[in-house]
Amino acid sequence: MPLDYRRFNGPDDSVSYKRFTPDFLKSYEELLGDLLEKNNLKDEQASDEAQRVFAETDTISQAKGSAYVEIKNTKVVCSVFDPREIPHQNEFSHLGQIYCEVKFAPFSCSSQRRPPAPDAEDKALSEALRQAIEPAVCRHLFPNYQIDVFAYIIENDGSCLAAAINAAGLALTDAAVPMYDLITASSMAILDDKMFVVPNEEEEELAMKSQESKDINHGVITLSMLSELSQITSFIQIGSLETDCVIKAMDILEKECKELVPNIQKVVVRNVIKNVKRQQILHESAKEMEEILDEKYNLWQKSLKAKSYLCFSLSFFSLLA
Amino acid sequence: MTGHVSIRLASERVNHSVATSNELPRFYTPGEVISGMQDFMRGHGTYTEDDNLKSSVAGVMQKVNKLICIRPLKSRYVGEIGDVVVGRVLEVQQRRWKVDTNSRLDSILQLSSVNLPGGELRRRSVEDEQSMRKVLQEGDLISAEVQSVFSDGSLSLHTRSLKYGKLVQGTLVKVFPSLIKRRKNHFHNILGISIIIGNNGYIWISPREKESTENDDLENIEKAKLEPVSISIREIMARVKNCIAALVASKMMLDDTSILMAYEESLKYETAKEMLDPEAMLDIAFLTQHRLNYVTTE
Amino acid sequence: MAGSLISQSEQVFIVHGVENDFRSDGRSSIDYRPMELETDVVSHASGSARLRLANTDILVGVKTEIDVPKPETPGLGKIEFFVDCSANATPEFEGRGGEQLANTISSTMQRAYYSPQAFNLKQLCIFEGKQCWKLYVDILILECGGNLCDAVSLAVKAALFNTRLPCVKAALMDGGNIDLQLSDDPYDSKQLDIGTAPLLVTLCKIGTKCVVDPSAEEERCSVISLVVGVTGNPNFYQTDDNVIPDIKCKCSTISMNGPGSLSPKTLKSAIEQGITAANCLDNALGDALLREKDEISYLKKHSYGFLK
Repeated sequence: MPLDYRRFNGPDDSVSYKRFTPDFLKSYEELLGDLLEKNNLKDEQASDEAQRVFAETDTISQAKGSAYVEIKNTKVVCSVFDPREIPHQNEFSHLGQIYCEVKFAPFSCSSQRRPPAPDAEDKALSEALRQAIEPAVCRHLFPNYQIDVFAYIIENDGSCLAAAINAAGLALTDAAVPMYDLITASSMAILDDKMFVVPNEEEEELAMKSQESKDINHGVITLSMLSELSQITSFIQIGSLETDCVIKAMDILEKECKELVPNIQKVVVRNVIKNVKRQQILHESAKEMEEILDEKYNLWQKSLKAKSYLCFSLSFFSLLA
Repeated sequence: MTGHVSIRLASERVNHSVATSNELPRFYTPGEVISGMQDFMRGHGTYTEDDNLKSSVAGVMQKVNKLICIRPLKSRYVGEIGDVVVGRVLEVQQRRWKVDTNSRLDSILQLSSVNLPGGELRRRSVEDEQSMRKVLQEGDLISAEVQSVFSDGSLSLHTRSLKYGKLVQGTLVKVFPSLIKRRKNHFHNILGISIIIGNNGYIWISPREKESTENDDLENIEKAKLEPVSISIREIMARVKNCIAALVASKMMLDDTSILMAYEESLKYETAKEMLDPEAMLDIAFLTQHRLNYVTTE
Repeated sequence: MAGSLISQSEQVFIVHGVENDFRSDGRSSIDYRPMELETDVVSHASGSARLRLANTDILVGVKTEIDVPKPETPGLGKIEFFVDCSANATPEFEGRGGEQLANTISSTMQRAYYSPQAFNLKQLCIFEGKQCWKLYVDILILECGGNLCDAVSLAVKAALFNTRLPCVKAALMDGGNIDLQLSDDPYDSKQLDIGTAPLLVTLCKIGTKCVVDPSAEEERCSVISLVVGVTGNPNFYQTDDNVIPDIKCKCSTISMNGPGSLSPKTLKSAIEQGITAANCLDNALGDALLREKDEISYLKKHSYGFLK
């Protein structure tokens, strides 16, 4: 990676102190045991994952549209800016383009500090985000223009791509970019016969690592779809999974995405209502102001007339004298 | 269900050469002196310097009386008036289309050299000019004839005959233009399909067009042009396409006879996809060459 | 990709052909075009391979270097992929034109090789926690005629098959530093175990069906393609008879490319189609590599070179 000379990079060989904590030294089996234990405790609470999403739009005032999404501890903020002409391009393109940038905050990950310059993972995520939202946008409506979508991951606790896609979809809706359908995404970590829907960082990491000696299914899948049109816009799998397992996971994720739609709709509607109300208030206050102004104006006119009459008569009298 | 995959090693590479004679012509390289200037005329592919005639391309010499030309071994298409070409529309411009014909410069098709619906002697109105995209748009393929050659070497085309015009369903094969033999006829209706061997090295293979009856209106004809092509026709088209590929790999001249012969030789292969194999390609080319030699010596 | 224009009626012809499972050169939906492979073509690389698939030409060189393993995985080596889309392939790649494509391919490869069941990084370990081998897999795209992902993955697997790691005779702890003693004999080297290394299969959705190995024209007709990475079968890559129990092929990565989308049903059938195709590819590749290996052991290798 090219060095970033504009910033002070800190010593190259610094390591996180967490390496020396007992947690780090735990073996794979121990970690797995811990995780399962934790999960057993958790399972009593409803596993309705769709309920654990918190979303809000219109969080950044200067962007055309923006959204903030929280899934478990993962926090993503996403903003969409006005379309602009595609830079550095001479050829005319009939379809608009979407430019995505996903960035991790330097302090977003638990294990180590993220470098401020984008690395390979950031780029791969940006590409994945573009792939996911591109089919949803009516790109023929803004030929030769580009819409910028920036997603910033403030805190990463697993399934950050799914959160970023959800946030980007909401931000696009908030920016009133024409879209075919609402876009929702969900992810899943698979470890042997266990499936963790919307995994947290621990689960994700364990599912990715796996034990090489055993020939078990392990991996992470992120799926985004347009539920109303029943179209999958992106499907990213990593790890090693049997086909049956992939297909089973797909069905679950599909359902998960569908369940997420009403939540997202609610956020959008809430935002619309908020805006309408705000507009109403503005409208009413404007009316009030107008009335007051009108009144003042009338008063002023009256006084002006009186004054001018006075002036006139005064000058008249002075002439006479 | 298993797919066909073949991976061969470089050491098992097939030599596609089928040349029978070992005599090689004299080759000239750029900058090489051909002769003194005294009694020769400078043709294409040559230049003069210090009273010497020199080659500017790599190729073989052609001499017509006093005129000396060097014909490059591999070149883009150099057009001549009356050539049949197949081209692709690149751009719609003011009153003309820009067409890619594999020549050095893009060719031009004027709006005035196209047959528009409603008779040949129709005047080109402003409306025609505005709806040029309806006639031909970017990406469309056409067959045309070279009408004239501009001073800079770019070609002016025309499609003012019923046999020329927009091409619909089919596949395009691109070969070296030097492999195309100049013939009287470049439109062939053989084997139940039609082949247009463009002089520019673009070969168009398409199903034969159905005879349209008088009472068909325009819309129906348009619709018929996009109807699915039957599998048997597809099989023949694929075979012809692969035959051409085989002949080209062995650098053999292409015309209706060689294609037809190659097709007949290819019938021993059961499916068209078997002919993608380099050995099969060589086999077909070799047998065709053999038959051609036999015919010419007879 | 390669910005050739194509007319609407040509597209119709291709789409109908795919629907009938008879493509314009006679192939069916899971047939590949013939390929040509050569290994050990670059003398300065530890392993190299060149693969030609119709008009696509890929050259892969593997360089091995010594590195310090990551603190969280002290027992594992490293592998990294770099793709270079040179402007030699098409003028479109000039400047930063090919960068996006290169990034997509390299990140797909990285993902495909991620799982230890696909490529075991333990074999690159020299001294746990201190030193390991790092493989730099550099992929050069010399010519671009469609279906890059598949060709790249085949060439990479062949290059890794060809890679020889020098034997480490001894590793001595000298204070905090490690002293490595390598064997003097350059032929004293070990091969990598790449039997399970994944192959990528691109499934191009044309009309309502998916095809493998699309030509450049077919790629123009499609708006979405699915890339499926499938782990290999080690049985194809060894000559001796001690047959390892057949491992079922698994998906090591799946991703989508292009501006379109897929219905869930198509996606499912495409994944299965991809696994079938990958199995055929793996079989053919193993066969070719073993033939090549035989040849090299009999006579001194004669190099054939690039771009036929």
